[in-house]
Amino acid sequence: MLLLVGWQILSLNMHAIVLASPMQTITSLWVMLQTPYFFEHFSITLMRVSIGLLIGGFVGFFLGIIAGLSRDIKCLLEPLRWLTMSIPPVVVVVLAMLWFGMGSTMAIFLIAVLIAPTIYINTARGIEMVDKDLVEVARIYKFSAFTILKDVYTPAIAGPLSAAIVLGTCQAARVVVMAELLGANEGVGYAIGFTRSNLEIPQLFAWVLTTLFIVAIFEFILFRPIQNYFTRWKE
Amino acid sequence: MNKAITFDKVSKNYGSKEIICDLSFSINTQDVVGLLGPSGVGKTTILKMISGLEKPTSGKITLFSKKISYVFQEPRLFPWKTTLENVALPLEASGLSQNESIQKAKEYLDSMKLIDFIDYYPSKLSGGMRQRVSLARALSLKPDILLLDEPFSALDTKMKDSLVEILLNSLKEQAMTVLYVSHFPQEVDKIANKTFTISCKDNFSTSTATTRG
Repeated sequence: MLLLVGWQILSLNMHAIVLASPMQTITSLWVMLQTPYFFEHFSITLMRVSIGLLIGGFVGFFLGIIAGLSRDIKCLLEPLRWLTMSIPPVVVVVLAMLWFGMGSTMAIFLIAVLIAPTIYINTARGIEMVDKDLVEVARIYKFSAFTILKDVYTPAIAGPLSAAIVLGTCQAARVVVMAELLGANEGVGYAIGFTRSNLEIPQLFAWVLTTLFIVAIFEFILFRPIQNYFTRWKE
Repeated sequence: MNKAITFDKVSKNYGSKEIICDLSFSINTQDVVGLLGPSGVGKTTILKMISGLEKPTSGKITLFSKKISYVFQEPRLFPWKTTLENVALPLEASGLSQNESIQKAKEYLDSMKLIDFIDYYPSKLSGGMRQRVSLARALSLKPDILLLDEPFSALDTKMKDSLVEILLNSLKEQAMTVLYVSHFPQEVDKIANKTFTISCKDNFSTSTATTRG
């Protein structure tokens, strides 16, 4: 609410070509929502973020579990983790465009490469910090490897991991929009670039709101209920 | 009598520190043995070696069965599982179906007077209740060997007496070999029919057996 008031005050004091007002933005969004053009770009970005998150999340989770259980593998993966976390996202965007050209493969690759290390590091650290006493109980009662993973490790790391996934999703949405802006012919980022070129400022801000909406879909509709389910015992 | 547990010149080192040195003893099936001794003499290590959590550095441990349950000093319940799930999970891991596991878990929780708390998470239970869940988890598996590592030491006298009674009743109904570690001889006397005192003399771990009639 405070943000909206601040935005309104700023828009009254700035030129319409620099900042659209909240009302202009919402009106533009409403008009856009009634066109297939909006859903075309929106669904492409949503699809890219979903597939990128799925691939990056799976790779990060899988490698994180192995690294958390084996110090040797962790040492082996450490340079790769350091490299992918240290390299600026814009460099990865340029490289991805060079290797995959423009379009979905590039965007999905980008998200996967950027999210995997975040998931990896939180999974590995979570596994390392699992209460060893509980692992001993699992060993005494001869739990299968799958049961240990499902009933001991996963609930133990669910808290930090879901926080990492939310963080990764925000990062993924930001990066995919940047990548689409720089090198795609479709998607929310492309639409932002297009409206900026045409100086359609209210539409531009409507697309920015759409980006926030994509993050909100993942955070509040998908991940938050999963997080609540896994951490219900803490209430 | 068959031998349930045999230690043959067993030694255990942690790095350069020798905890147990050339320890030999044997326990008959269905014996209820109290394991006494001062701190640091390796009582918990003995239980961990029997359960397979630790391997001896040298020597041989022979067990007549691998069906072992362990009750630790602290309950060690999975905090994200309810009371019922904590008891049912090992049963399911032992090969029972989900329905059978739940039925059996309920049966044992009922015997521990915890049937009204089956949906509670461990954090909502008192220390005594948590230890009862841990005991229910151990007994529900009908183990051949039950290892108890100072299971009641953190509880007040009233709760301790109540749990000792529950344990004694379970032992009457369910024959098993029990190893009970404690610092307190009077506590062991209530449960065990044989006592082993572990001590470390001249670099040798020795066990002195006392049998009660």
